[in-house]
Amino acid sequence: MKLHCFERTFFHSSSSLTPIQLPSPMETHLWYVKPSEVKSGSLLNQYLDILPPCERENVLQMRGEELRKSALLARALVRTTIARYQINSHSNPRSLKFRKNLHGKPEVQWQFRDDQHPPPLHFNISHTTSLVACGVTTNAQIGIDVEEKHRSIKHNILSFARRYFSKHEVQFLAAISDPQVQRMEFIKLWTLKEAYVKALGKGFSGAPFKTFTIRFKGVMEGGFITLEDLSPKASEIVVDSFDDPADLTSNWQFSLLELANSHYAAICTEKHGAGSGKRNAPGKLTVWKTVPFLEDECVSGTAAVKIICGVQ
Amino acid sequence: MASFTASSVSFSAVSCSFKQNKVSSLGKASLSFSGNGSSSRRLPALRFRVSCAAKPETVNKVVEIVRKQLALPNDRDVSGESKFATLGADSLDTVEIVMGLEEEFGISVEEESAQSITTVQDAADLIEKLLEKK
Repeated sequence: MKLHCFERTFFHSSSSLTPIQLPSPMETHLWYVKPSEVKSGSLLNQYLDILPPCERENVLQMRGEELRKSALLARALVRTTIARYQINSHSNPRSLKFRKNLHGKPEVQWQFRDDQHPPPLHFNISHTTSLVACGVTTNAQIGIDVEEKHRSIKHNILSFARRYFSKHEVQFLAAISDPQVQRMEFIKLWTLKEAYVKALGKGFSGAPFKTFTIRFKGVMEGGFITLEDLSPKASEIVVDSFDDPADLTSNWQFSLLELANSHYAAICTEKHGAGSGKRNAPGKLTVWKTVPFLEDECVSGTAAVKIICGVQ
Repeated sequence: MASFTASSVSFSAVSCSFKQNKVSSLGKASLSFSGNGSSSRRLPALRFRVSCAAKPETVNKVVEIVRKQLALPNDRDVSGESKFATLGADSLDTVEIVMGLEEEFGISVEEESAQSITTVQDAADLIEKLLEKK
């Protein structure tokens, strides 16, 4: 057992977060951190400092330095990100309270006076040891998932897909002859399915993976397009659910991106004003790479964000 | 106390972990102790859990599968008490682990059950429950 005493530099954390307006209803904000770019011990201490004791304990329980770091950055990212929007004067990341909904989905427990309606901010986070991301929307449920592009899958892809994915998705993957491409398409599909389940907020068993199909759809109604035809503007990602009536699944829109050349990120958000026969314009996505309290960089439109499908 | 030094990021948490004793062959119930690492100086909280514990062989097989899936270093301690999440398993890892267990033991795990597994012990107990049903 080692005991370290350390000097903490007390820091007014709220003053170093650039305030920002909530995204508009059709817009999504995505913030991400790369743990490898956060090297300063004192900065990490600042992050630890804004966490309540229970979150701090959870971080410290992680086994291994890398895991502790990404767990810490995940909590720091979600607190500092929400604090930026200064909802009801909540600009201090330390003062935010969180809770889980009935099915375990994290949400903000807003502290507000009177009998006000809860603020319309929604968020969802996802993290790997190499990238931590937080998506924010206004008045729309959101689910995000990030995975390393080169993540290894221990099982045979098709065996895995047959066990957990829908028949159509298995067919889609089985048609790919190159094993590398197959693995990457599998990972993309996984992130999309995860993002959908997280957006629904009903937990893994609330929408078992086998009960819905995610597929790429051409702009032409009823068209299925091949992999070669895929281009960001020409296609749409849709979900068909066996359990839900058809019109409910059209309430969800998806985006699939490649982030920082290293990760796939899938974002699923609720669509509003979806009417049959009306083609909805793809939403707008703004992406920031951040080191909370230190620097923010808007990376939309740069090489750090490659849109595979779904948004502009 | 947790600290980050400038040169290396390291956590030195005050933690006391009581390693689970080998499950004795006397009876099926077992008491498991887990010390709670805490950053304050109070005594670690002890949690008691009485459970009809799975056989050590089952737990060991689960540990093996988890080690392989998560590519854990040899010095990473994994026991029945270990939580998948704290070992670094994300949702894809968990699903792969469950699939590995299904293959190893010839069982089928439903999503509701898979969602409730948080520790190695949980997995081992579920496996034995499903094996009993067969």
